[in-house]
Amino acid sequence: MAEDVKNAEEETVEEQKPKSKDEVRVAVIACERSVNLEGELDQTKLNGVDNCDVIQVPCSGMIQPRMIESAFKSGADGVIAMGCQIGDCHFREGNKFCRERLLGLRPPMIKKTVPKNRLQGFWMSEVQVDEFKDRIEEFKSHVANELVKEAAED
Amino acid sequence: MLTNIVRGGQKVILRLEDILNKIFSSEQNILYYHGAMPNFFMWMLFLSGLLLFAYYTPTLEAAYQSVEYITKKLPYGDVIRGIHRYAADAMYLTVVLHAIRVYFTDRYREYRIIAWYSGIALSLFMLVIGISGYILVWDQRSLTIVNKFAEFLAALPFIGETLSHGFINGDIISNYTMSMSFFLHTGTSFALLILLWVHYMRISRPVVNVTWAIGSLLAGLVLVIAGAVPALSGEEANFNAMLPSIPIMDVDWFYLWLFPLIDLVGNYGAWAALIVGLVVVTLLPNFVKSEDSEPASVNKDSCVGCRLCSIDCPYEAIYMAPRNDGSKYKELAVVINDRCAECGLCVGACNFDAIELPTYRSTQVMDDIRIALQD
Repeated sequence: MAEDVKNAEEETVEEQKPKSKDEVRVAVIACERSVNLEGELDQTKLNGVDNCDVIQVPCSGMIQPRMIESAFKSGADGVIAMGCQIGDCHFREGNKFCRERLLGLRPPMIKKTVPKNRLQGFWMSEVQVDEFKDRIEEFKSHVANELVKEAAED
Repeated sequence: MLTNIVRGGQKVILRLEDILNKIFSSEQNILYYHGAMPNFFMWMLFLSGLLLFAYYTPTLEAAYQSVEYITKKLPYGDVIRGIHRYAADAMYLTVVLHAIRVYFTDRYREYRIIAWYSGIALSLFMLVIGISGYILVWDQRSLTIVNKFAEFLAALPFIGETLSHGFINGDIISNYTMSMSFFLHTGTSFALLILLWVHYMRISRPVVNVTWAIGSLLAGLVLVIAGAVPALSGEEANFNAMLPSIPIMDVDWFYLWLFPLIDLVGNYGAWAALIVGLVVVTLLPNFVKSEDSEPASVNKDSCVGCRLCSIDCPYEAIYMAPRNDGSKYKELAVVINDRCAECGLCVGACNFDAIELPTYRSTQVMDDIRIALQD
């Protein structure tokens, strides 16, 4: 028991080394109707992008704050909630509601412990596969920078 | 094959919308208001129609002259008439756009079926309003329309004669015919409002208004066209010089296409085409195989009656029922299964694991996230 705690402590110490952009882990909780990822996923791993997992739900409006929290808890450095372009939702308002939750304007609220600087909403349509991958790469750099900043603040 | 065409159409629409989003922002993307645009034109029509109504006289002797008076003597009368004429065309055009958009993005069936059927009824009503509107002008074209439409109605078996007689409002064309056309034009317009109420049923927050910017743009467009191509009458209706058909130049292809069709295939042919067209459009939702429905379900023990799911549900599928099962909470969320779209918006709104999609529970989503991040 005591050893476990010690090991865990050691791990956290190790993790404080700044991560390079490629090492950053990203979890995308995505609407299955937004960016078309048919043939782009190996289980949940996004092809062509390192350390990026995509979990698809019927609509971004289904994404609960708790899901975002659990992604961070499970080791994601950055989390993306993705829905269709704002103004277009198959279920009328799902992406709008999701966006409002990310902005803290709609209940249920996201806990304050969630690092909001490493949480983003992507609003893209079925046809924007390439753009999606580009933006994931941008997001990873952003997260890497934020991690460096956070480490400096500690 | 059909699925591929629909998917292709959706891609084209999404690309177009993406371009407009980048130029105008999604807030001012005209294509996101495909349903609100016909509504906007309808209010333009009500307003301009009200002004025309004040000066119009529905009699054989005075109708043509009253329209001439409105157009030539009344200050801005020609503008009002032009607005009424072109807003009507714009309304039909945007209705067609709306129908295409909802069809290709697969937003017309299952839990949206009421909107699809009422939409068909709405567009038929619009045809009646359009055709009767062109009679009110009482020029040569109007006379041809009355004649051809009466014959067209009479061609229908069993009820045709009655319909035709009712439309002429007597045995011969008279002032009563004008009254009937006037009623069909204005009365049916008000029926649109009732049908629209049906059209919006089961939609919690329908988008019925365009933005100020888009509204100004649309109104401006109608105004410019009304100024550039004034709406004018032809020769006054003359029973001795009745036209055998509407000259192609004078056909309004949004509302009067029925008449060239009758010329082409005859009354029976036109009825057949109309009925086949209606049947196909009505059955379109049945051409796609529906997936088994597994509506959201509420866990009574967890629901605290916070109402968030019932507020967020976009299809009015969840209501709050009073509880008398000994729970300390006053209300319980209840799902109306037929209305449920299985979108999960209620799940996103719930902080208590109390409402779930049986196909993909929130706990399962969180497990999947954990598993994905483990390796």
